[in-house]
Amino acid sequence: MAGLELKSLHKSYGDVPVIKGVDLTVEHGEFVVFVGPSGCGKSTLLRMIAGLEDITGGELWIGDKLCNAVEPRDRGIAMVFQNYALYPHMTVYDNIGFGLKLARTPKDIRDSKIREAARILQMEHLLERKPGQLSGGQRQRVAIGRAIVRKPEVFLFDEPLSNLDAALRVDTRMEISKLHQDLGATMIYVTHDQIEAMTLADKIVVLNGGVVQQVGAPIELYQRPANLFVAGFIGSPKMNFMAVTVDNVAANAVTVSGKDLSPVSIPADVTGLTLGDTVTLGIRPHALTIPTTGSVVGRINLVERLGNETIVNLGLTSGISWLAVLDGDHNLATGQTLQLAFDPTSAVIFDGEGRARHPA
Amino acid sequence: MKQRTSIIGGFAAIAATFVVFVIPFLFIILMAFKDRQQSALRDFSWPNGFHLFDNIFEVVKTRNWMMITAFINSTLITVVSVTLLIVFAAMVGFVLARRKTRFNGLIEFLILAGLMIPPAVVPTIWLLQGLKLFGTLHGMILIEVAYNLPFSIILYRAFIATIPRELDEAAVIDGARPLDVFFRIVLPLLWPVTVTNIVVQSVGIFNDFTNPLYYLPGNGNATVQLTLYNFQSQFSTAYNLLFTNILLITIPPLIVFLFFNRQIVAGMTAGAVKG
Repeated sequence: MAGLELKSLHKSYGDVPVIKGVDLTVEHGEFVVFVGPSGCGKSTLLRMIAGLEDITGGELWIGDKLCNAVEPRDRGIAMVFQNYALYPHMTVYDNIGFGLKLARTPKDIRDSKIREAARILQMEHLLERKPGQLSGGQRQRVAIGRAIVRKPEVFLFDEPLSNLDAALRVDTRMEISKLHQDLGATMIYVTHDQIEAMTLADKIVVLNGGVVQQVGAPIELYQRPANLFVAGFIGSPKMNFMAVTVDNVAANAVTVSGKDLSPVSIPADVTGLTLGDTVTLGIRPHALTIPTTGSVVGRINLVERLGNETIVNLGLTSGISWLAVLDGDHNLATGQTLQLAFDPTSAVIFDGEGRARHPA
Repeated sequence: MKQRTSIIGGFAAIAATFVVFVIPFLFIILMAFKDRQQSALRDFSWPNGFHLFDNIFEVVKTRNWMMITAFINSTLITVVSVTLLIVFAAMVGFVLARRKTRFNGLIEFLILAGLMIPPAVVPTIWLLQGLKLFGTLHGMILIEVAYNLPFSIILYRAFIATIPRELDEAAVIDGARPLDVFFRIVLPLLWPVTVTNIVVQSVGIFNDFTNPLYYLPGNGNATVQLTLYNFQSQFSTAYNLLFTNILLITIPPLIVFLFFNRQIVAGMTAGAVKG
């Protein structure tokens, strides 16, 4: 039984802060995914949990043990690397058994554990080969086998699928998900791919610039993003934004309008908003529809007809461009003027500091 | 036309190699077959009789079987020195490549200095005497290790930089202590460089003439190269025995080279990361 507790975790290289105070609780058996753009510190955070990077400040608890100064081998963790990091001079059998050998596990127990791991991952026929003779997917499996044979409390995955081709990525993703169900262990997974994050995670941690932006269930992050960054990062294609002015403040809604937008009342938490404030309106491309009269007007720059849906790139009069994903097939021409409408409950208002104002 | 020039060039290269490398060796072999009178002529003639075995027996037996002692001493010095060289050079290379500190520049300067500055013989002898190592085999081994370490480190260091750091990290997470990482992961992966080191350093140390001459005096301490002196003197030189001696002591380095040549070619091509 081991969850994780990160308390105000800091990391800096010299004077450059990389992780600026991360607080996070991971329950036992949870699948947590760290996402964020390149250089946001997600891999560094994972390596700090693994013990490959020193912790500059704060506390790291694994289970009920303070692990700041504990050697990686004593933390009860296993890690799968992006480039697999298999030992090229050893067979698959020895690669998987290396940790057990170092722990001086008796030979017969070691053998049965290795064969058990190989059976779970369906690679018994590969045991005598060397990593050089394996395909990318097989190497990834060996790397996972090397992790599960140690029966760790916490699995750490550092972008494990980014070296695989698209088809294999989907298969391996499912396998990891199944592995999580079978083993019931805590897993922490780093990726920049939001599809992986959305499909695998019990809980997503969105990082940017070394700061946690939001922690929550995948669908919660999609439906109720905490701020502009999360709103723009989660969801594909990304959310459309537009600067608008507050025209009227009601009890639980604001009426906003802008250069490209006729006045519309949107449910929001209005605390602190006053008339004339500039706020940001966010709306997902999938929430836009074609009615007879709409509140957003623009010229079509590009149309992508995919059959089941139509993706329209719309140039608004103020110069910004929006994406709309329309259900079904629409015969639209480039240059044509198009009106779009949206359901006000699906729109999100962000205040001047970028915080989302979801209605209570 | 172009093909003909390349053929001519090829033949010229082979001929030059033959003259430079093979003819002297043939001369050694021919001389080893001759008796003393004929060898004194020092010409490229066919041996008058078959005297090889007599010569070998004479060479080995000279000065109370000195050749046997010399072979034992040289083998000991070579094997122990090369082993220490490989372990220490790989360790230094590993630390230099992996751990960046502000002392790295100084250390690299010292390594280069060790390669460039000629060793001073008299102070070294004085130091060895102070340490009670002068004229001992282990003293000689330390000298060989010290003199050859910079070259081995340079060979290793560049190669270690190509081993992905993730391998070390994976081993650390698997529970490896620093020495486990080095001996179980890094050193085996350095095999291609290790082979080069073994070949270059063992041939060099086995064939070393000057250092044993300075630092290892005494009949009991003779190394193979010093046995050449047995048949050379100011007034008379037994050329047939001298060349038989040369022939005998050329064989071990030749075997080392033939044995490891295949290993170098086989190399290690296993992919460490995605390949």
